[in-house]
Amino acid sequence: MGSFLKPWLLVPVLAGLLAAGQIWLSHLRYELSLETQALSAEKQIVQGESSKLRLELASMTRPERLRKLAQQELGMAPPSPAQVVHP
Amino acid sequence: MSDKQQVFVRRRIEAVAGLLALGLVMLLVRAVDLQWLQADYLTSLAEKQRYRQFTAVAPRGPILDSKGRTLAESVEIPSIAAMADEVPAERVNELARALGLPSEKVGRKLNKRHGFVWLARQVPPSIARKVMALNIPGVRMETEWRRYHPMGPETGHLLGFVGIDGKGLEGVERSWNAALTGEAGIRQVRRDARGHSLPDGIWLRESTAGKSIKLTTDASIQSIAYAALAEGVRSQKAKGGSVVVLRPKDGAVLAMVNWPGYNPNNYRQHKPGQWRNRAVTDVFEPGSTLKPFSVAAALASGKWQSDSIVYCENGAMQVADYTIHDDHPEGWLDVTGILVKSSNIGVAKMALDIGADPLHDMLTKAGFGLRSQMGLGGESPGIVLSPDRWGPVETANIAFGQGIAVTPLQLAAAFSVLANEGLYVAPRLVEGGMEAPQNVGHRVMDASIARQVMSMLEYATSVDGTGSKAVPVGYRVAGKTGTAQKPDARGRYSKGKYTAVFAGVAPVDDPQLVIVVVIDEPQKSMYGGQVAAPIFRHIAESALPYLGVPAQITNQGQWQAMEIATEAPVFAADSTYGMSLREVRRFAATRGLRLHVRGSGWVTRQKPANVAALNSGEELEVWLNE
Repeated sequence: MGSFLKPWLLVPVLAGLLAAGQIWLSHLRYELSLETQALSAEKQIVQGESSKLRLELASMTRPERLRKLAQQELGMAPPSPAQVVHP
Repeated sequence: MSDKQQVFVRRRIEAVAGLLALGLVMLLVRAVDLQWLQADYLTSLAEKQRYRQFTAVAPRGPILDSKGRTLAESVEIPSIAAMADEVPAERVNELARALGLPSEKVGRKLNKRHGFVWLARQVPPSIARKVMALNIPGVRMETEWRRYHPMGPETGHLLGFVGIDGKGLEGVERSWNAALTGEAGIRQVRRDARGHSLPDGIWLRESTAGKSIKLTTDASIQSIAYAALAEGVRSQKAKGGSVVVLRPKDGAVLAMVNWPGYNPNNYRQHKPGQWRNRAVTDVFEPGSTLKPFSVAAALASGKWQSDSIVYCENGAMQVADYTIHDDHPEGWLDVTGILVKSSNIGVAKMALDIGADPLHDMLTKAGFGLRSQMGLGGESPGIVLSPDRWGPVETANIAFGQGIAVTPLQLAAAFSVLANEGLYVAPRLVEGGMEAPQNVGHRVMDASIARQVMSMLEYATSVDGTGSKAVPVGYRVAGKTGTAQKPDARGRYSKGKYTAVFAGVAPVDDPQLVIVVVIDEPQKSMYGGQVAAPIFRHIAESALPYLGVPAQITNQGQWQAMEIATEAPVFAADSTYGMSLREVRRFAATRGLRLHVRGSGWVTRQKPANVAALNSGEELEVWLNE
């Protein structure tokens, strides 16, 4: 039994283990790269979305539109200076 | 086996061996051919298959106002393109319908070329989805960046616009194009057999995102100015106009608008002439708005004091072969009176007394005749003749703003000098260190002279002055009106074409705003006091409370103001007769009238008789009796 366990056998075993580790690592690397690609694509979509939303916000809150809404829908009017107590 | 058979077998073996040898030789030749002769070409083919280059887009940076509100932003939107010869002819109609274009037009585009053609650039995503759902061979969707300016015409001239290829073509977009434009990066990655990218990609060129630019302008004030200018131009049936609003302390441009405006999101529908930011590119004769600087030059010379008096020749004075006229003939006036009554003869006499050089020096130091170096392209330096060409007529004319041309921005920067107690602060448009280097803060006149001129200009907006319509209730304004004849095509002064101007500072005790209003060819009135001053008031009375500057209402306590603010306007009355003191005060306050009360009890007399016709800021005088 013991005659089979020669010290030189360690070399192919280690080589096998290292090779398996290498394959496992490269697989991990590949999986991670897929994940980063998906994430960066998502990041770009979200960035695009956020700039669209910023634009929408700016367009909805543009002073001219608010003024029109206040005057036509809410019946508001610009205050005279005397009505502005704490600007 | 006979000999014959043996020979046959041997021959066969030899033939097969020969063929094998030939095959080996051919393999060798092929190997040499592939591995050596064609090596470079084949390597490149393999790399093309394995490697792929991606372009990493870098969107154009946004433009923000001083409070971080978005003034310009780029978004990715679809465009429809096609490989012309791959699109089947029988599906062109279907394609055109989905695009919303006439099928002849689409057909024409497809027949023009064989390869890549744009069918519709920058279309709404809904249309792109509809087109792609048809799944027509050869039709493809590309994405492009499109620039949007949410405030539209209000910021049109100031910001300019961006062409379809992403390059700034006018205004801020053009002048700061380099900073706003990002640089697209190129990344090379290796792909596996399934087409997925492997993780060892390299940047062939790193992408740099476009920088965002923060302007000094305030979207609210910009909007206020645009609305006030539009209303003023329409009511005067004028050709156009410009308004510049500056904060004198740091030269920040708070608003810069022109009328008629154009929508930068749709710039192709307007003529190129309408794209010009006339507040910096176009010059006009400032007329009487230049007089404060002539007076300042006279005071700085030491020959004149604020209480010096001048004989104004009852409205006509001969200088060389030229007669100077005053609109309102006057006799003796002090220096303040000259500004209040806007006497051409008065300032001409003072200018002729001090001579051309001090006046020229004052005007140049105040920024006339020079570009502001604010960074906007197309800025005009204005026209100021060199003093060796100033004879007596020129000196007299320039003193009251004729024979000199300025831009609205220059006039605003010059009035900032008066607001800043004599210090010139160059106007600036961009926050942070992006603007061009400039000569910040040089002294134009002594602080005491600036203060004297300011107080004279405050008189000019009093009830007796030409600029009384510029004063919002509860604020003190220093300003000057101006009216100038426009030159005609032959360089002579035209008969019926005028520029009406008002330039002013508010409030006087702690200047927050310098506003210049220029109205081009008003039809109803030609006077700056009638045309431009009300626009100034409109902007000041909206912008000052917004900036946190309260009105100083002397005849009204805070509790009354609170009450008015919450109360519905109950006074639809046409007259104040019979009202109590409290009622008439409320009446005046709700309508923004300047109230003068005499006596106590109930109103028995009012002036003017028809109070319903009074506008905000006008005066109402009432007499009360027990």
